[in-house]
Amino acid sequence: MSVSYKSIQWNRQKIIYDLLLVATIALYLYLFVWSTQWFGGADVERGLRAIWIRAYGSAAFILLHVILSIGPLTRLSPKFYPLLFNRRHMGVVMFLLGVQHARGTLAWYHDFGNLDPIVSLLTGNLNFGFIPFPFELLGIGGLLILGLMAITSHDFWLHNLTAPVWKALHMCVYLAYSLLVGHVFLGALQTNKHPFLTIAVGIGLVWIVGVHFWAARKEAGCDRQTFLINTEGFADIGSISEIPENRAKVVTLAGERIAVFKYDGKISAISNVCQHQNGPLGEGKILDGCITCPWHGYQYRPEDGASPPPFTEKVPTFAVRLQGDRIFLSATPNLPGTPVEPAVIA
Amino acid sequence: MTTNNPQPQDEFYVNYLPMPRSWSAFLLKFLPLLIAGVLIFAYILPTVHDQYNKGGFSKRTDYLGYLVANPVPHLIVPRPGNTEAGADYSYYLLAAGNKAGPPKKVMEQAGNWVTLTGLPIARNNLTLLAAFKAETAEAPEGFDLDLKGKSLGEFTVEGEIVDPKCYNGVMKPGRTKTHRGCAIRCISGGIPPTLVSHNAQGDTIYFVLSDLEDQAVNDRVLNIVGDPLRITGEVVQFGDTFVLKADPETYEVI
Ligand code: HEM
Ligand code: HEM
Ligand code: FES
Repeated sequence: MSVSYKSIQWNRQKIIYDLLLVATIALYLYLFVWSTQWFGGADVERGLRAIWIRAYGSAAFILLHVILSIGPLTRLSPKFYPLLFNRRHMGVVMFLLGVQHARGTLAWYHDFGNLDPIVSLLTGNLNFGFIPFPFELLGIGGLLILGLMAITSHDFWLHNLTAPVWKALHMCVYLAYSLLVGHVFLGALQTNKHPFLTIAVGIGLVWIVGVHFWAARKEAGCDRQTFLINTEGFADIGSISEIPENRAKVVTLAGERIAVFKYDGKISAISNVCQHQNGPLGEGKILDGCITCPWHGYQYRPEDGASPPPFTEKVPTFAVRLQGDRIFLSATPNLPGTPVEPAVIA
Repeated sequence: MTTNNPQPQDEFYVNYLPMPRSWSAFLLKFLPLLIAGVLIFAYILPTVHDQYNKGGFSKRTDYLGYLVANPVPHLIVPRPGNTEAGADYSYYLLAAGNKAGPPKKVMEQAGNWVTLTGLPIARNNLTLLAAFKAETAEAPEGFDLDLKGKSLGEFTVEGEIVDPKCYNGVMKPGRTKTHRGCAIRCISGGIPPTLVSHNAQGDTIYFVLSDLEDQAVNDRVLNIVGDPLRITGEVVQFGDTFVLKADPETYEVI
C-alpha cells in the first residue's frame, strides 16, 4: 500500500470513471430501445421484453470486449493506465448486465409454462448437435465465471484466496469470453442472419486475440533476452545508462521477472510482481523514495522490498553489484522484505 | 528524496495523483471515441435484428364456433356475409393465456357449438385464440359443418416448426434458434405445432401438423423445434387452413 493511498479509497478520478461507465451504459440501453421502436414502428414486440434481453446482453458483451482490451493496451502504451485501475468496477457492472439479461430470459422465455423456469432453462433443449446446441448453457457458464470473479473482486478475497488462486480465477475470464462467443454464435447469430452481426462478432474476436498477441510479442522481447549467469550467481544485465532516473529495467533471470531501479545515484532490484494484483512494478516509478506500482499505486521501498509502515506488503529483493557502468544482478531471490544494500554509482 | 527529477517529462500516473497533462489530453480524445463507438452499436444493432413483423394481438372477443379437439384444439368459426369468393369459415387454433393448450374447462365442450372468449393473435392468415372460457351455444342456422376437409393430395414441404402463439406476435421473432427454448415450452404445454414454409414466390404458407391417426404430434417434435425440416404427407384443407398429415418419425432434418 502507499502512504498517500490510505485515506483515498474513493477519489475524484474513481468517481469520474464510474460516472462515465454508468452513464455510457444507461445511454446505450436507452438508445437501443429507442432505436428499436424508431425503426420498428408498430411492428415491435409489445411490452419490449425481448428487446431488453437483447439490450442487456449486447451491452454486457461489448463491455467485455472493452475490459479484455485494457490489459494489453496498457502494455502497448502507458497512456491507457487510467482505464485500468478501476477495471474491476467495469467487470462487476458487466456481470450485473449479464444477470439482468439472464433474468429477462428466464422470465420471458421459460416462465408461464409447464416446468419451473430454471428447470426449463437447463433441460428444455437437450439437442446437443452443433447448430441446435443449447446456447443458453454457454451463457450460464460464462455468467457463473463472471459471478465468481465479481463476488471475489474485493481485495479482501485477494488476500484470503492468495494471489495464484486469484490470478487463476481471473485468467478464467478468457474461458468466459470463449463460452460467450459460442453463446452468441450459436444463439443470436443463428436467428439474425444479417451479415453485420456476424462480421461485428468476428472483428471483436480477431481484435481481442490480436491485441493480446501484439502485447505478448512486445513483452516477449524482454523475456527472450538471455543473460549468462556467472559462477557467483550474478549476471551482467546491462549498463547504468540504459535506465532512466527513478525508473527500472525489467529483466528475466531464471524465469523470474526482476525490476532493476536507478534512483539517487543507487541501483536496487526487486521482484517485478506487485503483491496487490501482480501489477508490473518495473513499469512503475520511484515517488517519495518508494517504488510505486503503476496499477493502483501500492508502494515498496527499493532497499528492502517492503511497503512503508503501516502497510505490510513485501516482495522479494535481489542483490546488485556494479563493475564500471555494468550492472550485475543476482539470480537468487531473497525472502520478501529482506534488506539489500543498494549498489552505489561511483 | 527525489527532489530534482532530471526528467520533467517522465510522466507517471496512479489514480490518487494528478494526471499528467499529455495523458488527460489523450483520454479526452480517446474516451469520446470509445463511448461514441459503443453507442453506435446501440443505434445499429436493433436494425439488423430479425425482430419486426406485422403479427400481434388485438382484444378479447367472443366467437361463436364449433369446438374440435383433434388433431389439435381448434375452433371452426362461420364467416358472416357473402363468402362465395372464399372459405365460408375460419379455422382458429386454440391455446391458453400461458404456454399451454386451452383450459380443460374449455376443451370438455369439444364436439359442441360454443361461444368462446379469446384473445386473437394473428399473423398473415394464421390466427390463434388464447381461450379463456367457453359456453355451450346454439348452432347457427344454414351453416354446413365440414369436419372432413378437402384432401389436396401428397406434398413434400420444407420449413420450421413454431409455436403459433409466440410466432404470431406475442414474441418477436418468435422463431428460430433464439426462440427454441420458449417454443419447446409452449409446444410441450399443448400449443398446436405449426410448420412455417415458404413457396417459390416467397409467400409464407402454414401447415398445422397432425399424425396419420389424426392425433397431435406435440411431444414427438420437441427435439426438432426451430430446425429446418422436410416433411412429406397428405395436405388436407379446412377453410383457408392446411393440415399436414405425416408420421413425425418420417420428418427429416435438413
Ligand atoms: C444464464 C445465462 C444466460 C442465458 C440464459 C442467456 C440467454 C440468452 C438468450 C435466450 C438469448 C437470445 C435472446 C433473443 O434474441 O431473443 C441471448 C442472446 C445474447 N446473449 Fe445471453 N444468456 C446468458 C448469459 C449471457 C451473458 C453473460 C452474456 C454476455 C456477457 C450474454 C450475451 C448475449 C448476447 C450478446 C446476446 C445477443 C443479443 C442480441 O441479439 O443482440 N448472455 N442470451
Ligand atoms: C467480473 C469482474 C472482472 C473481470 C471481468 C475482470 C477481467 C480481467 C481480465 C480480462 C484480466 C486478464 C487480462 C489483463 O491483464 O487485462 C484480469 C486480470 C486481472 N484482474 Fe480482473 N476482472 C474482474 C474483476 C477484478 C477485480 C475485482 C480485481 C481486483 C481485485 C481484478 C484484478 C485483476 C488483476 C490484478 C489482473 C491481472 C492478473 C495478472 O495478469 O497477473 N479483476 N481481470
Ligand atoms: S497496486 Fe494493484 S497491482 Fe500493484
